[in-house]
Amino acid sequence: MLKDTIQMIHGPIGCAYDTWHTKRYPTDNGHFNMKYVWSSDMKESNIVYGGDKRLEKSINEAFDEMPHIKRMIVYTTCPTALIGDDIKAVVKRVMIERPDVDIFTVECPGFAGVSQSKGHHVLNIGWINEKVGKLEKEITSEYTINFIGDYNIQGDTQLLQKYWDKLGIQVISHFTGNAAYDDLRCMQQAKLNVVNCARSAGYIANELKKQYGIPRLDVDTWGFNYMAEGIRKICAFFGIEERGEALIAEESAKWKPKLDWYKERLKGTKMAIWTGGPRLWHWTKSVEDDLGVQVVAMSSKFGHQEDFEKVIARGQSGTYYIDDGNELEFFEIIDLVKPDVIYTGPRVGELVKKLHIPYVNGHGYHNGPYMGFEGFVNLARDMYNAVHNPLLKLAATDIRDTQAEGQQEVAA
Amino acid sequence: MSEQVKQLVGYVQERCLWQFFSRTWDRQENIDGIMAAAEALLSGEKPRRETPMEKLFYADAVEMVKDFRERFPWIASITPQEARDLIAGLKAEMIDIAITRSLNQELSHSLY
Repeated sequence: MLKDTIQMIHGPIGCAYDTWHTKRYPTDNGHFNMKYVWSSDMKESNIVYGGDKRLEKSINEAFDEMPHIKRMIVYTTCPTALIGDDIKAVVKRVMIERPDVDIFTVECPGFAGVSQSKGHHVLNIGWINEKVGKLEKEITSEYTINFIGDYNIQGDTQLLQKYWDKLGIQVISHFTGNAAYDDLRCMQQAKLNVVNCARSAGYIANELKKQYGIPRLDVDTWGFNYMAEGIRKICAFFGIEERGEALIAEESAKWKPKLDWYKERLKGTKMAIWTGGPRLWHWTKSVEDDLGVQVVAMSSKFGHQEDFEKVIARGQSGTYYIDDGNELEFFEIIDLVKPDVIYTGPRVGELVKKLHIPYVNGHGYHNGPYMGFEGFVNLARDMYNAVHNPLLKLAATDIRDTQAEGQQEVAA
Repeated sequence: MSEQVKQLVGYVQERCLWQFFSRTWDRQENIDGIMAAAEALLSGEKPRRETPMEKLFYADAVEMVKDFRERFPWIASITPQEARDLIAGLKAEMIDIAITRSLNQELSHSLY
C-alpha cells in the first residue's frame, strides 16, 4: 500500500496478477500504487538459465520509466525461489549503480505458511532488521505513534488521520495504509505503537518493543464503542484525556443518531463473518453491541491459534467457528444457521449470492471506509441495504412458473 | 473462583486484547503490569506513570476499571483489601487461561 514505491514481482507475469486492481487501497497522491503493475516477466529460458539478469534489467527499466520514483520492493515467487535466483545480490548491484534508490527484498515465495500468512512474518522481520532505524524525520509533536496494521481500505487510514490531527498526535508511520517508504524507515522514533491488525503486523510491533522499547497497544477501530475505547487509551497513555473526550463527543454527536437508525432496523439480523483472520474478533462484539446483530458463524482463512483464542473469547456460545472453511462446509453451515447476510470476499460472495443470500465485501468493503465512527455507519448502511434489498426476493422467483400460469389463463 | 472474580474474568475475556499478545512473556508482562495498575486504581492509590510501559499499563487499566465500575455496581463498596484480593483472583485466572492452559503453540515458539 506504499504510495511511492515500485512493487517488483520477480517471476512469470501471472504471479503479479493480484497486485493490480484487485484491492482497494487508495493513496493521497493519485493512487500511484493502484495504477501500475511491475513484473520481471520471466520466460521459460530464464527458468532454465537463471533470472538474475532479467530481474536487473527489469529493475533498471522500471526506475528509468518512472524517474520520480526512487523506492522499490522486490518479491521472489515460487519459480524464482526454486531456481535459486539471488535477488539480494541483484539489488545490491543496482543500489551501487544507482545511489539515489533504496530497495527492499521479500523472500517468501507464495507467501507460504498458514494460508499464506508467513509472508506477513517474513516482511515484518525483514523490514525492521534491514530498514528501520536508518532514517529520522522531523518531529512536530510530543505525542508520536506508529499506526500499525491498517491498509487504508477505501480510505480507512485517511479517516483515522483526521482523529490524530485533532488530537495533536503525529503519526510517524502508517504500516502501511497511504504510507511512504521512508516514513517506515523512521518507525523507531514513535513513542507508542498502536496496533489494529495484529495478524499481519503484530510481528513488527513486537520487535519494535523488543529492539527499541516502544510499547505496543492493541486496539479495535471498527465499531463506535471500540473506537472510543481506543482513543481513550491512546490519550491516557499521553495524558491528553480531555482532548480524547472532546473528539469522542464531537464524533458521537455527528454519527450516533445515524448508527441508531440502522441499529433499530438491523436488530436480530443473523450475520456470518468469513474473512481473513482478525475481522472475526474485531467485528463480532462490535456488530452485536453497536448494531444488535447476532453473529451466527465465523470462518477464518489465515487466522492462527492466537486469532481463534480471541474469536472464541469474544464470540457467543452457539456460534459456529470454522478454520479455513471450504465450499461444502460453507453450504453445510448456511443450512444450519440460515444467515441473513454474510461478510466475506468476492469469491465466496458470488457463491452465496447464488443461494440468494446477500453478501457484503468484508475484505475491500462495499462502500467504505468502515473504520472509525463514520465508518461503522457505512458498514451498517451496507448491511441494511444488503438485507433489505428487494431484488433478492425477485431473484429467487422462478418466472417460468408465473409465465406458465399466465399462458394457461390466456388459453382458458 | 468467586462469583465476583468470575464476572471480571468474563469482562476481560470479552474486551481486552492485551491478554492475547504473541509470546508468553508478553502476556505475563501485560497481566502483571495491568493488574498492578488496576489494583492501585481500585484501592484509591495513584498508579505509576513514569516509564513508557507504566503509561501503557495505566492506559489499559484505567479503561478496564472504568468499565468494571459501570458494569458491576458492587465494586463501589469494596475495601482496599478486598480490591487487592479481587485483583489477585483475577490475575491468577488470567494467567491460567492466557498462559498455563492456552493451546497456542506459538506462544513459546523461537521464531515468535
